[in-house]
Order: sequence, then C-alpha cells, then structure tokens
Amino acid sequence: MIYAIAVFAPLAGSLIAGLFGRAIGDRAAQAVTITCMVLASLCGITAFAQLVWGGAPTGTVLLGTWVDVDRFHLAWALRYDTLSAVMVAMVTTIATLIHIYSVGYMSHDKSIARFFSYLSLFSFAMLMLVTADNLVQLFFGWEGVGLASYLLIGFWYDRPSACAAAMKAFIVNRIGDLGFALGIALLFWTVGSVEFSDIFPAIAAHQGEFYNLLGSNFPVMDVIGVLLFIGAMGKSAQIGLHVWLPDAMEGPTPVSALIHAATMVTAGVFLMARMSPLLEYAPGALAFVGFIGATTALFAATIGCVQNDIKRVIAYSTCSQLGYMFIAAGAGAYQASIFHLFTHAFFKALLFLGAGSVIHAMSDEQDIRRMGGIWRKIPITYTVFWIGSLALAGIIPFAGYYSKDAILEAAFASGTGIGMYGYVCGVAAAFLTAFYSWRLIILTFHGAPRADHHTMEHVHESPLVMTGPLMALALGAICTGFVFHGQFIGAGWHEFWRASIFNGPNNHVLADMEEIPSLAALLPSIVGIAGIATAYVMYVLKPSLPGALAERFGPVYRLLLNKWYVDELYGAVFVQPYRRLARQLWQVGDAIIIDGVPNGLASMTTEGSGRVARLQSGSLAMYAFAMLIGLVVLAALFLLVR
Amino acid sequence: MNWALALPEIVLALCGMAILLLGVLRRGDTTALCGWAVLAAFVLAAALVATGADGHAYHDMFIVDAFARFAKLLILTGAALACLLAMDWNRREGIARFEFPVLALFATVGMMLMVSASSFMSLYLGLELQSLSLYVMAAFARDDVRSSEAGLKYFVLGALASGLLLYGISLVYGFSGGLDFAGVAQAVASPELASPGFIVGVMFVVVGLAFKISAVPFHMWAPDVYQGAPTPVTAFFGTAPKVAAMALLLRVLGVPFVHVPWIPVVMLMSIGSMLLGSFGAIAQTNIKRLMAYSSIGHVGYALIGLAAGTVDGVRGVLIYLVTYVFMNIGSFAVIAAMRRRGRAVENIVDLAGLGRTDPGLALALAVFMFSMAGIPPLAGFFGKLYVFLAAVQRGQWTLAVIGVLTSVIGAVYYLRVIKVMYFDAPGEPFEARATATSVLVFGCALFTALFFLFPSAIVASADAAARSLF
Amino acid sequence: MIAVIAFYVFAAILIGSAVMVVTSRNPVHSVLFLILGFFNAAGLFLLAGAEFLALILVIVYVGAVAVLFLFVVMMLDIDFTELREGFQKYAPVGLAVGALLFGELLFALGAWDFAPAAGGLRQTPMPDYGTNTAMLGHVIYTDYVLLFQVSGLVLLVAMIGAIVLTLRPRVDSRRQNIEAQISRTPAQTLSMVNAPLGAGVRAAEYHRREPAARVGEEDV
Repeated sequence: MIYAIAVFAPLAGSLIAGLFGRAIGDRAAQAVTITCMVLASLCGITAFAQLVWGGAPTGTVLLGTWVDVDRFHLAWALRYDTLSAVMVAMVTTIATLIHIYSVGYMSHDKSIARFFSYLSLFSFAMLMLVTADNLVQLFFGWEGVGLASYLLIGFWYDRPSACAAAMKAFIVNRIGDLGFALGIALLFWTVGSVEFSDIFPAIAAHQGEFYNLLGSNFPVMDVIGVLLFIGAMGKSAQIGLHVWLPDAMEGPTPVSALIHAATMVTAGVFLMARMSPLLEYAPGALAFVGFIGATTALFAATIGCVQNDIKRVIAYSTCSQLGYMFIAAGAGAYQASIFHLFTHAFFKALLFLGAGSVIHAMSDEQDIRRMGGIWRKIPITYTVFWIGSLALAGIIPFAGYYSKDAILEAAFASGTGIGMYGYVCGVAAAFLTAFYSWRLIILTFHGAPRADHHTMEHVHESPLVMTGPLMALALGAICTGFVFHGQFIGAGWHEFWRASIFNGPNNHVLADMEEIPSLAALLPSIVGIAGIATAYVMYVLKPSLPGALAERFGPVYRLLLNKWYVDELYGAVFVQPYRRLARQLWQVGDAIIIDGVPNGLASMTTEGSGRVARLQSGSLAMYAFAMLIGLVVLAALFLLVR
Repeated sequence: MNWALALPEIVLALCGMAILLLGVLRRGDTTALCGWAVLAAFVLAAALVATGADGHAYHDMFIVDAFARFAKLLILTGAALACLLAMDWNRREGIARFEFPVLALFATVGMMLMVSASSFMSLYLGLELQSLSLYVMAAFARDDVRSSEAGLKYFVLGALASGLLLYGISLVYGFSGGLDFAGVAQAVASPELASPGFIVGVMFVVVGLAFKISAVPFHMWAPDVYQGAPTPVTAFFGTAPKVAAMALLLRVLGVPFVHVPWIPVVMLMSIGSMLLGSFGAIAQTNIKRLMAYSSIGHVGYALIGLAAGTVDGVRGVLIYLVTYVFMNIGSFAVIAAMRRRGRAVENIVDLAGLGRTDPGLALALAVFMFSMAGIPPLAGFFGKLYVFLAAVQRGQWTLAVIGVLTSVIGAVYYLRVIKVMYFDAPGEPFEARATATSVLVFGCALFTALFFLFPSAIVASADAAARSLF
Repeated sequence: MIAVIAFYVFAAILIGSAVMVVTSRNPVHSVLFLILGFFNAAGLFLLAGAEFLALILVIVYVGAVAVLFLFVVMMLDIDFTELREGFQKYAPVGLAVGALLFGELLFALGAWDFAPAAGGLRQTPMPDYGTNTAMLGHVIYTDYVLLFQVSGLVLLVAMIGAIVLTLRPRVDSRRQNIEAQISRTPAQTLSMVNAPLGAGVRAAEYHRREPAARVGEEDV
C-alpha cells in the first residue's frame, strides 16, 4: 500500500497541476505537486527501510489485470524487491529535492504549473519503470519517461534550439527503443511470457538455443541481451546513441539534474540489473555491454575536457559515468553498477543544481570562459560544487570513491580481456574526470572575473529554497558511499539484495574484487589526485599552458572540441541522405503519386458526399421509399443466397 | 413463475409513475427534483440489474442472462448520462419540464424489456414503449419547428418500420408456429427447414430492427432527426436506444434465426453503413448532422462484429458499444456546451479557435474525435480492433478492408473538426457551462483516453455476455 | 362452404376498401371506407372464431377511433389537394416498389411450406372455458401479465406524450376566482360618474385603471 502510494502520488500531483493548474494558480500547483512528492518520498523511503532493515517480505503489489487475451497475460503490478525499492527511494528523494529547488529556479517562468505537472509526470513514469513487474509495463514507463523528457527538453518551446533538441532526443531514443521492443518480442517468442516471474526461471532452459542467420549461429540469449542493451544505450546515452544528451541541456537545469543525470538516463543501467538473470546466460552480450561502457567512459571524458558550456561539461561527465556503470554490469557486478547509480544520482544532481545556481547567479550565462572570480560571492554554491566534484573524482571518503573504485576493482577482478579493457579505460577516464572537474571549478569560480561589470554586480547567492536542496544533496554526496557500501557490495550484499539481482554460479566477481593487488585498487585514487594536480598546474600556475597545448595539438583539440565529429558524421551519413531521400519522395512520390491519388480520391469523395447529401432531401415520402426499396433489395438478396 | 427476475424493470416503472405523480401534484417547479429522482431510479435499477439472478420468467417471454445484464447496464449508463446532460440544457432552452426525465425513464424501461425479450411479443411491446417515448422526446422542443418536424418524421418512419416488423413477426409465426425465440429456433433447426416465407418474415423483422439502429438503407431518418431534436435527446438517441436495438438484433439473429443464412444481408448493411457514414459526413457543416452520419458509420463497424457471427464478433460489438456510448455522450456534451449569447450554436465553424478560447473543452473534443477515428490508444481504437479481429478470424477480409478504408476516410472529417478548433481564428468564446456538463465532458474524455489502462474488466464481462448468447 | 364464401367476400371487400382509403379524393370518404374495412376485418375475426376481438374491433375502432377521425377531418381545415400533390409524383415509384415487393411475397408464399414442427407449436393448448372472453380473461392476467402491463405502460406514455406536445397553459383564458369575487366591495369596483352633456365618460376610464388611487376621491 505504502509502496503504491509512493508510485501514484506523483501521478495525482501531475494530474491536478496539469488539469487544474490554470484554475488553482501556480502557487497551489507547486504546493500540490511538492506535497505529493514529499508523500511519495516518505513512502518510498519507508518501503525501502521496511524491506532492508525491517525484514519485510518481497513480493508484488497487484493493481489489476491489464490484458488477458488467450496466452497473453499482463497485469498491472508493482514489483517489491530490493532493486526496485532502492530505485524508488532514490528517485522519490531526488525528485522531491528537485521539485523544491525548481520553486526557486523557475520562479520567473510564465508556465510554472505546466512545468511542475511535467516534472511529476516524469517522476511517475520513472517509478512505473523501476517497479514494473513485466516487460510491457516497464516499456510503458520507459516510453513515459521518454515522453516526459521530450516535453521538458522542449519546455521553452519558443526557442528553436530547444525544439530541435527535443526532437533529437526523441528520435535517437526511438532507435534504441526499436531494439528494446525487438528484444521484448523475441523474449516473448522464446519464453512465451513477458512477466519477470515467468521469464527468469525459464532462461536456463533456453540457454543452448541458437538463431541461424546467414549460415552462422547466434545464441538466443546473446541476441536478446544485445537488443535490450541497444534500448539501454539509447536511454543511457552510450556511445553511438549519446548525441542527444548534450543537446538535451537546452531544457531547464532542474530537468537536466533530474532526468538527464540522476534518474532517466540510468534506466538503462537499471534494465541491465533487472535482466541480470538473462544476461548471466548471455556472455557475448555482457562483453558487448562492457566494451561499449568502457569506450563511452573514456570517450565522453575526453570531450568533457575541452567543452566550455558548464552544463555540457557535466553532461559529458554523466555520459562517462554511465559508461562506468556499464563496465560494472559487463563484468557481472550489477550490484556495483547499481551502487554507482545510487551515489552518482546524488552527486550528479548536486553538480547540476549547483551549475543551475551558478547560472542563476550569473544572469543566465553558461559559458565558463565568461565566468570566474565569483567564489566569495556564492559560498554555498561553491562549497557544494567542491563536494560534488570530490565525489565525482572519487576522492576518499566521498560517495564516488566507494562506488567507482568498486567498479574498477570488479572490472579488474573479472579477469577477462574486456574487463581489463574496462579497467584501463576506467582509470584513464578517472584521470580525465578529475581534470575536467577542477578545470570547471577553477574556470568558474576562481581567477579574475571575465564577465562584464553589469553581470558581476548582480552575482548573488541563491535563495534558501534552492540552497536547501543543494545542501541535502551534498550530504548525500558525502555520506551515501561509506554508509551503504557495506550493504550494496560489501559482506552483507546477499542479505541486502535478496536475489533481486542474479549472479550466475560461476560469477564470483563480488568476492574476487576484494583480493585484487593493492596497486590496482589504489591506482584510481592516485590518478584522480594527479588529475586535480594537472588541472591546478594548467589553469592556476601556468594559465598559458592550455592555449599552448591547444595550438600544439591543434587537430586533437579540434577533434575533442567538436565532440569527435559524431554529430557531423551522423549528419553526413544519415541525416543528409535521409533529407535528400525525403525531398525526392516529397517531390516525386508525394506530390505526384501520393497527393495525386488522394486528391483524385478526395474529389471523388467530395462528389460522392454531395450525392449522398442530395439524396437526403428531407422529404418523408422519399425516406419511406428508400426504406422499402432497401427492403426489396435485401429480401431479394436473402432469397437468392438461400 | 419467478416474477422477481423483472424486478429492475418493475421498480423502474413504478419509480417512473411515482415521479410522474410527484411532478403533477406538487406545486411549483419540480423539473430539477424529478430529474434527480429519475437519476436515482436509474442507479437503483442498475444496482438491481447487477445483483439480479439469471433465468426465464413470464411464460418464457422474459430472459435474464449475462448478455441482458451487460446491455441493461450500458443502457442505464447511457440514459443516465443523457438525462444529466438534459437538465441544464432544457433549463437554458426554456423547455424544462418534468415530463422529460419521465419519458426518458419509460423509454429506458422499454429498452430493458427489449434486451430481455425472449419472445416476439415482448420484443414488440418493449420496442413500442421505447419508440413512443422517443417520438415525443424528439419533438420535445415543440415550439421549434425543426424539433417538431424531427418528431413527426421519426414517428411516421418509425410507424412504417413497426408495421414491417409486425408483418415480419406474423410471417415468422405463421411459418414456424412459435413466438418464443427458443421455439422458433427449434422449429427451424437447420437452413433447409427455413422456407421462403419464413425467410421473408426474417427479412421484415431485420428491417424493422435495422431501422432502429439506423443502418443503411434504413438510416434516412437519422440526419434529420439528429439535427432537429434537442441536443441531449440526440445524445440519448445515439446511445441507449442504439445499444438496445443492437442488442436485440444480436439476440434475434443469434437465437431464433440462428439457422437462417443472414450473414450476407448483415454484411451488405454493414458495408453500406460504413461507406455512407464516412462519405455522407464530409460535406456536412452542422456538427449534429455530422454526428448523425458518424453514428451511421459506427453502426456499420459494429455490424462487422455481428456479421462474423461468432462469440468474438459479439464480444467485439459489445465492446464497441461501450466505447461508443462514452465517446458519443462526451461529444454531445461538448456540443451542448456550444452556446453564445443565450443561444445554442451548432455549426462546425463555430468551434473555430476553441483550442485557444477554451483549451480544456477543445482537448476533450479532440480526444473524442481521435477516438471515433480509431486512433490508438484511445477507446475507439479498441472497439474497432475487436470487431476487425473477429472479422479477420472468420476470414471476412472484405469487411475488414472496407472498414479500415472507411476509417481513413472518416478520419478526414474528424480531423477537420480538430483543425477548425486549433488552427482557425478564434471566434467569440462560449458561455460558461454548467458543472454537470463539464463533469460529463471530462469524465467521458478520461474514460476514452484511459480505457487502454483497464480494458480487461470490460472485455471479460463482454466475453461472458457474448458467451451466454451461444 | 358458406364460411369459405364469407371469407372471400369479407377479404375482397377489405382489400377494396383499403385501396379506396388511400385513393379516394374526399377525406371524409376515406374515413368511411376505413370504417367499412374495420367491419370486414371484424367479419374475418368472427370466421376465425375470435368473437371477442371482432366485437372489440367494432366497438373501439369503429365506434371510437374512426369516428374521432371523422370529426378531426371535418373540423380541421386541411387542404387535402395540397397534401395529395406528392402522391402523383411518387405514385409510379411507389407502384413499382409495391409490385416488386408483392412479387417477392408471392414467390415466398407460393412455395407454401411450413416448418415441420410448426403445426404442433401453433396448437397453443386452449382450455375450454366456454366463451372467448373467459379464455382471454383467464390468460391475460397470468401467462401474459407482462405483456398486459407493458401495454399499459405504452398507453401511459402515449397519454403523457399527447399532453406534453399539446397542452399549453393558456395565459389569456379567464378563470373564476370565487374568493376574489366574494371579498370585493362595491367601493372597489364601482364608480359613479357624472357625465356632463356632450363630454362623455372618458375621464372616468382613466380612474378605472387605477382603482386604488380613486378611493376617497371626489367625483368630478
């Protein structure tokens, strides 16, 4: 019951704010949505605590039958196990904080009720996703968060760039969703059900099956696993399908924090953990996951080092951190990936909201080249930014240290080639992460002010309604690591997860990661500190160095600055040819054939319609005759066919 | 004899008479009081229907089964919603009289008898009780020449249809020797036993019933009557009587005439209705007339399910009717809300710019229009899905293909309404509407939009209802 | 034999008078032919052994309904030639459709075969209570009580409908208000007017409109 309230309270808030927002006013809409979110987070945390410390039994909360056609059964049900409860507690908490933060951040906007309605709608969809008890319900939530994300990226729909970004996010996600939907279909075809409780026990029996395609055999589970992962790639912005995430920063900053850092983009990671019983039997798919994750982690980190938009730097950092989570999933340490997901939600939301606070203070300036020298004026924002960056860089004892090190240890301990690749990429990315984080801090807060005089005069600390959530998140960024690491990945993980995540009989990675060489375990921290030092050297001690480097390695710099030209590549390979094709189709196919036929049909239709209307003369006798004629004709037909 | 099987009808009729007395004897304006009393009577009757037992009664002229219960609940829902809509409308139009809800109540009693009829005698009486009330309701705005004309036209053509029906019943009786459905089915237990005379009788009966559901070619009354009658009456016509007549047709063709090869005839009517419904609507400028053609089209789609002649087909028809009742009442509630300067306006162009002047109302109407066009995931899509599914299962590809094609043509005029609402320059805003109207509009819109979340309860009960016919 | 001859006579006159109802130019004649038709139908009922129905038909339809028709036709000033214009226009179509329908019916009824079970089913067991009326009376409140009651409802609805559509509270009709009549005094209603020669009573009319103002006033 409590669990259901946690899921449906945001929906109630969203509906009230959306439908009656105009009637009840912005204040009331905010109050309603925030009340609902607070209620949801209280219920979410209670449900989590009951499960983890209260020893409540796991199970499902059945809400009703959805579809019941022949063999195809679907129920509306909420799955209540550790994995879902962790996600529910995390999503509701972060969403509540961000709702509160938005009161301050969006205070000058003209459609506040709409914003809060969307935000709550998103929270509901995300909760549906993480509590789904079958793949179709999960897909429902999956599309729901996609829709809410589309609406929120394009929230300022009068900006063309926001609309374009929203479209891009939507289209790129559709590509991933296609894979996801195919995966669900294949799974249904193979197992005959989409309910988790039917699928998971049946996986082992189908382990040895193959699809034969063009003479080569593909293991069924690998194919399904890869297809599901393609869905996850779209949602979690992994390399190839990552292009929408940086553009999505066109949305309001609280949206970036909630959707594009803390929750929605981690849905892919959640999916991997949820489907762990399947992936454990799909080694090929796992290798693919690990490879893509490692590549993304490094790739996005390189881009992050040269970006100048404060939100884009953090966006690429998100991409990179998601890559880490997939490294862990690929190594079979789903627990570690969820742990990183959990801690990352706090410190990344913190960084985004901190960035929002900076932007707010700087009169909507987002370019770090026009910032600097403001750290004394906004001390709270500055402090929490430090905390967030320390957590991100994985400095002990902040949250990121525990989760990121666990991931790298797991990658090392898995002992496979892909695992090693993941470890190397991860360590390199850890260096870059620390580097770009402090580059960001130094350029944003320190040095001589580079903004104009007018802006500098207006720099001010944000109101309490914004700094309050920041401090709460900062607390999370400090504490979640050492408080929870024992349960998530330490000695107590068996009791904590209670089989909500499945580890195959040969998967001992969680045990092995305790026994890797101490140098390998320490290396991430060392390179992290090295990264900070490098940033200090380059941007404080020798400010001329970055320019010199950029000149010296011009091609590399431009490659990174232009994000490896992925957008241009897609533009040349997909978008332009598609547009040309579309133009051809429009000019030839559409204008001549498609328009020609319907126009002809339409004129025929209109004519026919006119005839019908003429028949309808209004004369009673006419109508009566029509009836009798109809009778005669039908009777004749009836007698003839007999 | 278990007279209690007809308890809902008896209670409803007694309530009707009591309310009539109340209206006549009590001084002062009793319209609102009678209106609410009738609504309460509907609720009471629905409760009795839902809790009643199954069985035969009254010399085998009355049957209660899952099918009858399903149809009765739907009829009561439609009637209650239409009465709710009428209260405010009648007051504003200056035709508020307590007889209106009472007539609607007696019409509903007639419809409940129709769906529970298991003999041609009870069928005919139920039908007449319903029709007579409807004739009066169509002409209820007696000072409006269009309303009187609508009533008169409906009456004359309805009388003709009743005559045909009676003649058909007499032929059926003559050639089969029975009036109760089971007896007729027994006497004509295989297609060879159906003599030409019997078949002609069946034909006349089918025509009499097809008139009531306004299937082509017995639809001619619908546009004129829909346009002329007061809007809540039109809403009523489109829902409860249509459900009752369709249920009756299902039962008559499914039980006594089960061995008569009627499928081609139903197919022909279905195709005709779909084509005429979609083509006829395009040229319309009056939204009530448009809804009339739309209803003809919808009857065509529902008849697809009947033509399949299977459990799945009947189930499809029932689901279609459920979705249609809510879409229809909701659309007419929107039409009833179209008032400017104390007068009802009912041209499509009057909706221009509604998306800006009243976004809520425009959104609701857009939901209804999209749903009627059959766009997923709205309720109308599921209705069409289930009947098309049944047709495809029976291999009736012609029907399914024509159904899809006419849906596309039909989408044109539904989309035209939406285009007018959202892309045309706004006119003067409508008057403030009554709370009841808003409740109807948004309640029906929510049902239509969220049907996909919980279709299984309705599908399951429709399935049980359909099975009880076979 | 006699019954057969009577059947054909009644039937022929019935059809003939039905045709005349539709075709005769004078509406009064139409109604008279209708009455003739009712009588012949009653004759057919008698031949079939349904004495009660036969007499009810005569009493209700001839005695009440048709006579009412006659009154209506005579009292209302309806231009029947105007109504008839459509008839000429639709006559050919009507004839063609009628002929087709008739042909179909002939075809259908020509192959006169009942369902085998029909004979048995049609023999509704009719207990011998003597008269037709007694037998009807016996079943109408037992086996057919549903139909009987529903017929009652139909008539009730017809009555409501007639009232709803035609009854208008007359605002211009004058009703006797006895209380007002008794309670009023001559002083309220009467006024003495001294009409001078050649001046008339015009001024007095003014006073009559406002009796209250007039009380206590001196006559001019």
